[in-house]
Amino acid sequence: MKSRWSMLFIARGLMFALVLVLSACGAAPATEVSPAEQTGSLTVLDWAGYDGQDFWVDFKNTYPKVTVNFEIGESDPDIYAKMKAGDQADIFHPYTGWLQFYVDEGLVQEIDTSKLSNWDKVPDYFKKIGQIDGKQYFVPWDWGFSSILYRTDKIPEGIDSWAALLDPKYKGHISMWDDGPSAVTVSSYIHGWDETKITPDQLSQIKQEWIDQRKLNLTYWAGEPELDQAMASGDVWLAYAWQGAYATLLSQGVPVAYANPKEKRNSWVGVYGIRKGTKNYDLALKFLDQKLATATGNNVVNEFYYGSANQDVMSGITDANLKEVFSLNDPNILQHTNFTPNVTADQRDAWTKMWAEVKAAP
Amino acid sequence: MGRGKGRSVTTPAPTLPSPKSEAFGGGVLKGRRGRGLDRRSTFLILYLPPLIWLGLFFLIPILLMAAFSFRADTYGALFENWNLGLNQYATVVATGSYWRLLAVSSLMALVISISAVALSYPLSYFLAFHAGKRAGLYLVLLLVPFWTSYLLRVMAWKIMLGTDGVINSLLMYTGVIKEPLEALLYNRSAVILTLIYVWIPFAALPILAALQRIEWTLFEAAADLGARPYHQFMRITLPLSLPGVLAAFFMVFIPTIGEYVTPLLVGGSRGFMYGNIIQDFFTKAANWPLGSALSMIMLAATLILVFIATRLIKLEDLLQ
Repeated sequence: MKSRWSMLFIARGLMFALVLVLSACGAAPATEVSPAEQTGSLTVLDWAGYDGQDFWVDFKNTYPKVTVNFEIGESDPDIYAKMKAGDQADIFHPYTGWLQFYVDEGLVQEIDTSKLSNWDKVPDYFKKIGQIDGKQYFVPWDWGFSSILYRTDKIPEGIDSWAALLDPKYKGHISMWDDGPSAVTVSSYIHGWDETKITPDQLSQIKQEWIDQRKLNLTYWAGEPELDQAMASGDVWLAYAWQGAYATLLSQGVPVAYANPKEKRNSWVGVYGIRKGTKNYDLALKFLDQKLATATGNNVVNEFYYGSANQDVMSGITDANLKEVFSLNDPNILQHTNFTPNVTADQRDAWTKMWAEVKAAP
Repeated sequence: MGRGKGRSVTTPAPTLPSPKSEAFGGGVLKGRRGRGLDRRSTFLILYLPPLIWLGLFFLIPILLMAAFSFRADTYGALFENWNLGLNQYATVVATGSYWRLLAVSSLMALVISISAVALSYPLSYFLAFHAGKRAGLYLVLLLVPFWTSYLLRVMAWKIMLGTDGVINSLLMYTGVIKEPLEALLYNRSAVILTLIYVWIPFAALPILAALQRIEWTLFEAAADLGARPYHQFMRITLPLSLPGVLAAFFMVFIPTIGEYVTPLLVGGSRGFMYGNIIQDFFTKAANWPLGSALSMIMLAATLILVFIATRLIKLEDLLQ
């Protein structure tokens, strides 16, 4: 087995050398080619659905001769595991909560924002999300909320706190997302703890809270369609949910509202990173610049009900439902939400173990 | 690749080395010990491709998983910075709820496999002895559910069992109940019910094969000697079909212990199985070492259970 590994190392070494040679060659052309004449190819590791041309239409139109290939990742851990295993994608798409690891493991290249013509359209609080250790490693692209989605006909009194997810009053009609770190987030909001500094004692208290919550929880949802169906049928009255489910149910005419808890909503942001060592760095930057352009952003808002990091796109929304979904009538909404912080691999590990024990508890 | 007969004759008697020979050594040796070259070429043509396939896609992944389970942490790339250690196993050992869940999952698998076998036996019996010319048609009907995706069949059970589902609607319409029953879906019973349904056609096939192999002359002889149908069944049909029953039992039992999709869809908050925990560590935490340790423990537990089961059943066989 040992020789197998050393073969692997040699193979990796050779590949690295090859990349070096190729990148040296790539640096040669001195004159910029016009976008329409630009050739080359890019590989993007993205989520299912984002490979649709609507979500990179500006790049397609500006650089028609560049080939873009997509690899599909199933989830953040899947994308992370793929990149860690040496995936050769030039660009990848993680979400907040998963950014620190890429920097710690040396998998991501710093972004040269001076090459991004659309960078000015991104508000500062989004830019900050992509910064780690003071450097811009990621380009923010899509975002949304997490909060409590509830049926207004079943809960006419409304919901004003995250604690409702653990309230015995709603026994048998609650649905939590099947995700340990989010359970830690919710508990931290309720207790006013800093979720990046959870102590072992606090973690065991959180574990007990969610073990007790199981008696109230009808089902943990894994995918949004599952949640949509359970809420539309009336089995679930309130759930941890993203704004996408809210938009879907609104469009189906289901009486639902999206809470503004006193502990504030949670916000998450999807970002793009460029793989360290890619030979297509410049082309990748061009791709990300076009990702931030307006037509692409509009498609994300209208088709996925996700927000765009391009402020012009958000200001341009006229549809009443969508305005409601993104709380656009409250221009400061993003200032009073809690952005998902960066956590370390050890924290994530401990939280997932906690959640596994919640699910395995008698 | 060495397919033609002539070619394998001219191939210098090679040391057929490699991972395969370690695991399936018996097969390789038998092929080599054979007197003529014919056996060897038979081996090359018939056994080598599946052995290579199994080695690459079954054995090596399991060995990799075993290796991962001894990795102390998750730092570094997949094949770098390996710190060996037993701490993943220590974590599992220290967490009582995992063991409890493994026991619960094994028990669920036992209930599911016994029920599926018991329910599919009459089906196979009917197909083998009473369906006559229509047996083929009935067999196709039995297999029709396989034409739809597994996920879809499980989702269908959600529609059956939900509060506004088929069963509740029927009971409310007929006035048996006033309020919908909430206990039907999102619990362990729903998982068991769904899995029994899913496995029945699988369990029926090996039993059918065993029943079809029974010689009719045996029944004639038994009848001549005055055996009633009940005795014929107990003394001939059942014992001779036991290998099929056993095969069916294990075919259901082994994959069911590690099941995770069905509990996720119909199990609710309290219907999780051991497989769900493994899945969480692989797909949600990117913690392959711990997930691997959990898998290896399940593998060992399954092997032990199967070993015990085969021992018990052989004893019974001898008594007969």
